[in-house]
Amino acid sequence: MGQLLHTFLAGSFSLLLRVFLIVIPIMVVLEVFEGTPAFRRVVRGWAVLVRHVGLSERSAAPTLVGFLFGLAYGGGVIVRDIRRHDLPRRQVFIMSVFLSMVHAIVEDSLVFLALIPFSLMALFWIVVYRIAWAALVTLALTAAAGFLVRRARR
Amino acid sequence: MPEPSDTSPKERLLRDLRTGLRAGLVTFWELARVMVPAYGITLVLQYVGAIAWLARAARPLMSLLGLPGDAALPLVVGYVLNIYAAVGSMKALHLAPQQIIVLALAILIGHNLIVEGAVLQRSGMNAFAFGALRVVAGLAAAALAHLLMGLF
Repeated sequence: MGQLLHTFLAGSFSLLLRVFLIVIPIMVVLEVFEGTPAFRRVVRGWAVLVRHVGLSERSAAPTLVGFLFGLAYGGGVIVRDIRRHDLPRRQVFIMSVFLSMVHAIVEDSLVFLALIPFSLMALFWIVVYRIAWAALVTLALTAAAGFLVRRARR
Repeated sequence: MPEPSDTSPKERLLRDLRTGLRAGLVTFWELARVMVPAYGITLVLQYVGAIAWLARAARPLMSLLGLPGDAALPLVVGYVLNIYAAVGSMKALHLAPQQIIVLALAILIGHNLIVEGAVLQRSGMNAFAFGALRVVAGLAAAALAHLLMGLF
């Protein structure tokens, strides 16, 4: 039991330190660069891609943060933007489904790719196939959720 | 575009830095508040042997993925803990590269379900529904990959 408490305290500390060291720079960088033309170009380019799963330009920035850095940090920006821009619930749902299927694309993929000899096949399955799967699941669930909501309203 | 005279670029940068820092601290607090209790629940589950129990229950599923029953352990470790812990317990298994890819897909889609579920809950989603979705969709993606790999 004492061992458990010790693990909890030490683990919580390193978890919080990690979140702090990632979340503060992400938020500061977002705030400083959000208005710049270069940042808008990147977000607009990303928005063109994620439009195919039903995400608006407003939702593109939080989705990009989650896709690159992870669900927790993306979730943080989603919470910020729900407050700031009053993101519609449908958009939050789509972002959550997409990001719960694929996030932290570089870090998470590398962790597993490091286990096997490098090949394009491995890269295909771990990265390309997973993103395609995420898009497919997002489209299917959004359609299903839309159907249920419409039926409930009738 | 001409700058409005009341805010110089330097002032604007300072204002953005302050806003960013404040947003960062608020987000940090939001995440900390849900992640620490979720992490505690995770540790208790591990402590009471829930991981070993779930891994035993999941053993029969592994053959659908072309994996040995032992592969259920890293899968469940990934679900409850995180991908690093899952990779650690995968190393002991000596799987073939294709098997590693199939198992990796299931874990990459479903992992750290309690902590990440708590974060999803903060943005108004249902943590249980999303946890179930990630387990099912992850296993389905892995099974499909296993099937497709067999064809080529």
